[in-house]
Amino acid sequence: MPEYTLFTVAAVVLVVAAELFWLRTGIFRTAQYWVSIAIVFGFQVLVDGWLTKLSAPIVAYAPGRYLGVRFPWDIPIEDFGFGFAMVTLTVLLWHRLGRQEER
Amino acid sequence: MTDHWQYLLLMAACLLVTLPLEFALRARVYRRPLRLLAALLPTVALFTVWDVIGILRGHWSYSRRFTTGILLGPVPLEELVFFVVVPICGLLTYEAVGTVLSLARRAAARRERSRIDA
Repeated sequence: MPEYTLFTVAAVVLVVAAELFWLRTGIFRTAQYWVSIAIVFGFQVLVDGWLTKLSAPIVAYAPGRYLGVRFPWDIPIEDFGFGFAMVTLTVLLWHRLGRQEER
Repeated sequence: MTDHWQYLLLMAACLLVTLPLEFALRARVYRRPLRLLAALLPTVALFTVWDVIGILRGHWSYSRRFTTGILLGPVPLEELVFFVVVPICGLLTYEAVGTVLSLARRAAARRERSRIDA
């Protein structure tokens, strides 16, 4: 497996595991989280699409370091795992800190 | 000239577009700065480490034309801004969706009560 792909899978697994075995906020059972992540993915397509567009890329990806599948537009599909891990981790921490705030 | 600001301008646009969520949909993310900072720090740290590894191992590179050229070690300033801006946008979305869902639930409960009363 290419390295960026491997790192992405690892990041997603680690974030999900952090929730299930450590943070236990319960956000994966809420509509609030899934609706939010769907909206975030929608906007990721716009922003990431601009960053990765092959006609004038802001970020260039090395061939062989990712699967080579770009969808939609020119977005390497790994980027969605990257985005999922980053936003989910932040929401998990935010949630967890909020619970402490209320105590 | 403006080309060099492209990545930073894109990040500014993300903040601008999501800003109304803080007020119109009562996200209250910026108004809890300590909690925001505490939630952001681990995310920024971990993803900066990933970015450094990605850059050093040649997974990706950044256009010199579309970035300012300001580097912190191997990491473009824009990437650090990205790791702050995108999680903030995510939190604003999450809290705004929470507001909308709880308003919808309250409205449904009100309808249910008035149906029972009638």
